[in-house]
Amino acid sequence: MLALRFALRELRGGLSGLRLLAVCLILGVAALAAVGSLSSAITTGLVDRGQLILGGDVEARLTQRVATVPERAAFAAQGEVSEVLRLRAMTGKAGASDRTLAELKAVDHAYPLYGRFALSGGAALAPGSAAIAPALAERFALKRGDSITLGNRAFRVAGSIAEEPDRAGEGFGFGPAVIINLDDLPATGLIEPGSLFRSHYRIKLAAGHTPAAAQAALGSAFPDAGWQLQDRSNGAPGTRQFIERLGQFLTLVGLTALVVAGVGVGNGVASYLDAKSATIATLKSLGADSALIFASNLLQIALVALGAVAIGVSLGAAVPWLVVQFAGSTLPVPPALGIYPQPLLTSAAYGLLIALAFALWPLAQATAMPAARLFRDSVEVRTRPGIGILLLVVGAIGIIVALAVLQSRDRLFAGGFVAAAVLLLALLAGLAAAIRAVAARLPHPKSPLTRLALANLHRPGALTRQLVVALGLGLTLFATLSVIETNLNGQISRSLPARAPSFFILDIPTDGIDVFRDVLARTAPGAALRTVPSLRGPVTAVNGVTVASMKNIPDDAWILKGDRGLSYAADLPADNKLAAGTWWPKDYAGPPLISLDEKAAQALGLKVGDTLTVSVLGVDITAKIANLRAIDWGTMGFNFAILFAPGTLENAPHTWMATVAVTPVQERGVSAAVTQAFPTASLVRVRDVLGQVGDLLTQMSAAIRAAASVTVAAGIAVLIGALAASRRARIYDAVLLKVLGATRGQIMRATLIEYGLLAGVVAGLALGLGTLAGWFTVTQVLKLDWAPSWPPVVATVLVGAAVTILLGLAGSWAALSARPNQVLRTL
Amino acid sequence: MTATDPNIVIDARNVTLRLGQGEAAVDILRGVDLCVRAGESVAILGPSGSGKSSLMALLAGLERASSGSVFVAGQDFARLNEDRLARARRGRIGIVLQAFHLIPTMTALENVAVPLELAGVADAFGRARAELVAVGLGHRLTHYPAQLSGGEQQRVALARATAPQPILLFADEPTGNLDAATGSAIVELMFAQVRAGAATLVLITHDAGLAALCGRIIEMKDGKIVRDTLSGADR
Repeated sequence: MLALRFALRELRGGLSGLRLLAVCLILGVAALAAVGSLSSAITTGLVDRGQLILGGDVEARLTQRVATVPERAAFAAQGEVSEVLRLRAMTGKAGASDRTLAELKAVDHAYPLYGRFALSGGAALAPGSAAIAPALAERFALKRGDSITLGNRAFRVAGSIAEEPDRAGEGFGFGPAVIINLDDLPATGLIEPGSLFRSHYRIKLAAGHTPAAAQAALGSAFPDAGWQLQDRSNGAPGTRQFIERLGQFLTLVGLTALVVAGVGVGNGVASYLDAKSATIATLKSLGADSALIFASNLLQIALVALGAVAIGVSLGAAVPWLVVQFAGSTLPVPPALGIYPQPLLTSAAYGLLIALAFALWPLAQATAMPAARLFRDSVEVRTRPGIGILLLVVGAIGIIVALAVLQSRDRLFAGGFVAAAVLLLALLAGLAAAIRAVAARLPHPKSPLTRLALANLHRPGALTRQLVVALGLGLTLFATLSVIETNLNGQISRSLPARAPSFFILDIPTDGIDVFRDVLARTAPGAALRTVPSLRGPVTAVNGVTVASMKNIPDDAWILKGDRGLSYAADLPADNKLAAGTWWPKDYAGPPLISLDEKAAQALGLKVGDTLTVSVLGVDITAKIANLRAIDWGTMGFNFAILFAPGTLENAPHTWMATVAVTPVQERGVSAAVTQAFPTASLVRVRDVLGQVGDLLTQMSAAIRAAASVTVAAGIAVLIGALAASRRARIYDAVLLKVLGATRGQIMRATLIEYGLLAGVVAGLALGLGTLAGWFTVTQVLKLDWAPSWPPVVATVLVGAAVTILLGLAGSWAALSARPNQVLRTL
Repeated sequence: MTATDPNIVIDARNVTLRLGQGEAAVDILRGVDLCVRAGESVAILGPSGSGKSSLMALLAGLERASSGSVFVAGQDFARLNEDRLARARRGRIGIVLQAFHLIPTMTALENVAVPLELAGVADAFGRARAELVAVGLGHRLTHYPAQLSGGEQQRVALARATAPQPILLFADEPTGNLDAATGSAIVELMFAQVRAGAATLVLITHDAGLAALCGRIIEMKDGKIVRDTLSGADR
């Protein structure tokens, strides 16, 4: 009680001393709370709208085939069924040659089972009409009543799509949406044997049926159906996984902000207690023991920390509302706005633990200060904090690390991140010690001002460690962000290889492939053309073990997840290299053989001679692995992880795909000629796709920048705090030098030398460490190519260092402007 | 005379104090012997750097001797750690310093109440108020140190030191920061408070006139006691 009474009395004197602690904690906690709240709001939005997003309680998804009659009967036994077919098709105003790729959806009369499908103006989707996305209406200046073509048929525009409940579950699209009646689809000629399409059977479960039971019943009744079953709890697994992963990455960035804030907390507490050293010594001279002083000061820090954490949590909790207000359209689903206690409590816990971990050490040191401080200002604390304090600090740090790692999906990555952060702090502390040691051992320069600059780096009470740690964290972060940003920005232009194709053309009928080649030769003579047969199908078994029965599928065994593109070839593709085994003869005609991607084989522990079973249009084909290929996926050509030898797939219904490289001038002509000759083929313009990928990267980059800017702000707060802490000593030095005859210019030069030395060394280290961290993030986390642009990175670090020097000089300006007598009277 | 003799409040033998290490080491006290009986008033006189303030810091438990023994009120200060020294001071030792050292965030009343609260006195604030009234600051109870003049601050410091009725009162240059008139008023007040509480007084000063007010004068030079005389002054 006495400790609390003393604490409250002291706090009455104002919080100015603990302002740095409060600012740092508010920034760090707000960043974490914001990331956690937004991520929870979006994932809850996905779950809440699970039925809408999935379009039913349970969905069975098939590729390149529709359900059989017995399968349809099984669906109907579970409840009401809606059938939706999705595919890509070229569309444009009827009578005009301009075409664009659209995402076509054919829906039955039961659609949608949940939610509302509506067109602007309240029109209905009558037979023979199409609902179009506003983007398509805008692109071709289409209005209600106009005609568009889809495949071989013209459709009347019924209106723009106003509400489409299952849109969010459909993921990344290559073009604007078009919706028609399922009954009208056959007339388009778009569905031919081998065409790329997906059929979705959504079930609105009858009373008493549960999603789990329905999935189990369908799975056991048709074990070889090759469909993917999903339920309403996870309507958009890809979107959800993306949001969760991005959320976790941003949480770690937020945690970095909090660690930077922790350094600020430590500095803030140290300078606060330093200013109070006379009070502490006085209390000791009056009979207060260390325990009372420790408790009283801990309570003060705890009260301010609690207030700061409360403000940070409140700010963070408000962020989802702000994001919806200002950037709602960039989110995949409307977030379920609300207060999410779990992320808020976690961020509050992080904040308090960080405050405890960083405040205890300076607090214990201040408490151990002898009362003799009343007589001599320079009394150095010789006693190190005891084992109890050390255990508390280690315990708090341990809980932070455990929280960060256990809450992460990818614990290895989170652990690595935490280890890197600790290593960075240790490296910076080591660098600071080295700077102090070197500065102390350097021969004394002749100039007294240079001598002063060097002495400022190593004298007792010098803030070199705090400055190096704060500046180092800030500059390393600047460097890391800059490396990541230049990579993201340059990704699109660099990922476009010199000989990248202009178009991907899909769904070319097998019997029309020769005509297609002729059309190309006529409209774009000399164009680089490559054609490959194309099928799709899932891998259903590995060495005879069915994928459905596998318990633990490794993360990188992506070839087992969903459908894979399949093709066949007599020759080894030009961009591939043989890594193991031998290539088959051109005229091979034996049992089924496949060539497998080397990395996919590694992920599954497969070698030459093993077997894979692939389901092609419902037929299982078991093939022996004849060889492994090293594939360069960055060439933007056609690459297949699974390639069949001749003799197996030729007779299965399939289509062809082509890549065409033409000059930009020829693009329009090729587009018009191909869509006219092959109305059912889909033409993807590479430039458009890259534009969409670019938009996605820009959004990711913006999210990372927003989270990281908080870290930078915390770093700046720490820096300003560290500079402010040394201000008193600097004013004293400057005044004494002026009394002794130094000019302001001379003193300024000394400061410049000091900060220049410090910033130069730290900037060099930050550039190296930032590059390393950036490389790791780009290549290992974002899985992108490593190709940073160095001038902006170096410039960012140099500007950061220059700003630091300016801040330092600005801090010294007050000292230079002070009238000596005035300062001497008050110091 | 022994350390356990209840009449002896200070018994220091062959005390040395060395600060710093290696080449930077400075010997502040070089073998000081001092014995003070209960109720005595002792002035420690000497030029700057003679070690008188350091000796007082040792006797008040604010500093630890490098060698020798220091018994104060029967307790062996050499054996006590920082916290036990703090507890040993509670209610028994009062200290007045040249620079006042009031706690800036507390009012005059709260400053005076602190040692009473630490000593667990039930009516700490009532006693503190009475002490402030006694030093003529009944009208300044809720003022903060920054709102008080130097003389008033030193009176608060004096009230704070004497409020727990210590058996030993140390005063280090209590008038050093004050003008002559204010200084003499403080000295008069201090002696009156000491007389009322029957405390032993150890006064550090370089002012021979002030020292002469004490019954015993100890002169120091270069870390040693060079003269120990009775002045015959009746405090």
